[in-house]
Amino acid sequence: MESAVLSLRDLRKSYRDADGSLLEVIRINQFELGAREQIALAGASGSGKSTLLNLIAGILLPDSGEVRVNGTDITKLSEAQRDRFRAGKIGYVFQSFNLLQGFTALENVLLGQMFAGASGNGDRAVKLLETVGLGQRLHHKPRALSVGEQQRVAIARALVNAPPLVIADEPTGSLDAANGARVLELLRKVCADNGHALLVVTHDQQVMSAFPKVVRMEELQ
Amino acid sequence: MNLITIVLKNMRQRALATWLTTLSVTLGVALTVAILLIRHGMQNRFEQSTLGYEMVVGAKGSPLQLVLNTVFNLDISPGNVSWKLFEQLRDDKRVKFAAPFAVGDNYKGFRIIGTTDTYLKDFEFSEGKKFTLAEGRLFNFSEDTLREAFIEAGERAKDREARERGETPPPRKEREIKRPFEAVLGATVAQDTGLKVGQTFIAAHGVEPSPNAEEHTANPWTIVGILAPTHTAADRALYINLDSFYEIEGHEIREKPGKKEEPAKPEEKDTDPDPGQISGMVLKLRSELHALPLYRELNDREDAMAAFPAVEVRKLFAIVGNVDRVLLAQAVLIAIVAGVAIAVSIYNSMSERRREIAILRALGAKRPTIFAIVVLEAIAICVVGAIAGLLAGHVIVAGANTVLMRVSGFTVPAAQIQPVEWLVLLGCVLLGTLAGFGPAVRAYRTEVAENLAPTN
Repeated sequence: MESAVLSLRDLRKSYRDADGSLLEVIRINQFELGAREQIALAGASGSGKSTLLNLIAGILLPDSGEVRVNGTDITKLSEAQRDRFRAGKIGYVFQSFNLLQGFTALENVLLGQMFAGASGNGDRAVKLLETVGLGQRLHHKPRALSVGEQQRVAIARALVNAPPLVIADEPTGSLDAANGARVLELLRKVCADNGHALLVVTHDQQVMSAFPKVVRMEELQ
Repeated sequence: MNLITIVLKNMRQRALATWLTTLSVTLGVALTVAILLIRHGMQNRFEQSTLGYEMVVGAKGSPLQLVLNTVFNLDISPGNVSWKLFEQLRDDKRVKFAAPFAVGDNYKGFRIIGTTDTYLKDFEFSEGKKFTLAEGRLFNFSEDTLREAFIEAGERAKDREARERGETPPPRKEREIKRPFEAVLGATVAQDTGLKVGQTFIAAHGVEPSPNAEEHTANPWTIVGILAPTHTAADRALYINLDSFYEIEGHEIREKPGKKEEPAKPEEKDTDPDPGQISGMVLKLRSELHALPLYRELNDREDAMAAFPAVEVRKLFAIVGNVDRVLLAQAVLIAIVAGVAIAVSIYNSMSERRREIAILRALGAKRPTIFAIVVLEAIAICVVGAIAGLLAGHVIVAGANTVLMRVSGFTVPAAQIQPVEWLVLLGCVLLGTLAGFGPAVRAYRTEVAENLAPTN
């Protein structure tokens, strides 16, 4: 698929167990995510969902196979190149938000911009925070924000560099149902409005039901 | 948003540890700087003060004591030399300038020096620099009245000796003192005591102040002039005409100089028409070539010795240098311990910060960037500590100046920045780099994936 933002081929990742035996956690023959497409990747706990996102983000390297993001096989890049690539081309939303506690909402978003080497006066960061409904809480630190607000900061941070691909690991996992639904709707809307492809891994039926396309991990093998 | 912002945020997050480690660096740097400034300043001041004093001559004893007493107004006088020797040297073709000194009294701790007006008029205390009057005039001095004073002082000594032997001294004609009792004050004396031209003061016996010191109430000196500052020990002295010095009770001339162990026979004293004695003298020579031969000649005498102030000061600082090297080593050790404390503090915080580091990496920070953030944090602590330490060092010096002034008669410029301070700052950057290296390596190696997992 020429317009695929994300393409995985023959991807294998194993870990060595405590007893020394190899445990294969990722075995994907082929998977593609088109531009602006939104897919929920479903799998039970321990099925390797987080490992897969780390492989897509270039945080982990596969044992074999290919991970193409926006046409670049990131497995062929050096670690430093992968870091730079991740900063500019991939937005990552974590289950536990992973905000830096010493930084304000705005600073957390600006950090995402900084490592991508983007220059600017922070207008985009402010605009994104306004978009996610935090225009009045720019200078609040994470501790002063509700969990729902924290996850919205994380969404703004993931989108600040206008990446073609946004990946999210159980983005509503730390939120109650009502908050989770609101955050998910927001994430999908912002990605759709800005033309980002979105891949969410989840085991939550409510999340899956919000997506037009759901792929199960087992189907990829 | 830049690396410095991240570093400062990290420091603020661990505020207590940051301030404590910064404080330890401040302490080490402050002590190092204070020791360096005081040493450098004192050596400068001492060397500056010796510039005009080519050679000093005094009683046999310690040359350092002679220099301290004559040039720096410190220590006690090692003894007396004869006025005749002064005359000989003054008339010596090799000698360009000679001035006598007599010490033994103080005013509120400031030394009173009996000398000639020639000293205040013609002596170059530094290259091309002579004393100038800020106010008033110089005292009047006459060698004729000085000779009279010597004779009278000798007679008073004989009377006292007779009384000590239980004899009645011969009746003497009531004296009428014609000599002026005039004084010219050094700049610091005038400033510290508030004495002004036209006022009088009473001298106390002894070169150091003492609550039990006898005061020469019968002979107050009138202040006739105040010298402009010289930034040498001369600023802390009161100069009086030498002839008035011998009028004072207790300044009688009782024995011949250089023969303390063998008291002169009475007939020798009687035939000596000029029993004058002084504490010492300063000489300037016509040529440097005369210095060594004259020095040897004087040191071959039984009743006098010569010393080169510059040489003695260098010797003194060579001795003092060993002491302040030990102090300096201690201060540097404190700074090193502070560096270790920084390393331990940041290293220990790495466990708590693994998640933050993983987040930064996930956001695209490269490993070298993480390494740099940690090293910069250690450097920032050291630099902030160093700057605070440099300031504190200057404050310590300003505070120490009171003590220095009392002990040595000098102060050290506390507001002046010395080149060595830039080296101290550079050393602190190096210390920070070394202190941050271990924790930075640990941060560099932080695994991203395993530290990003949800904590709950």
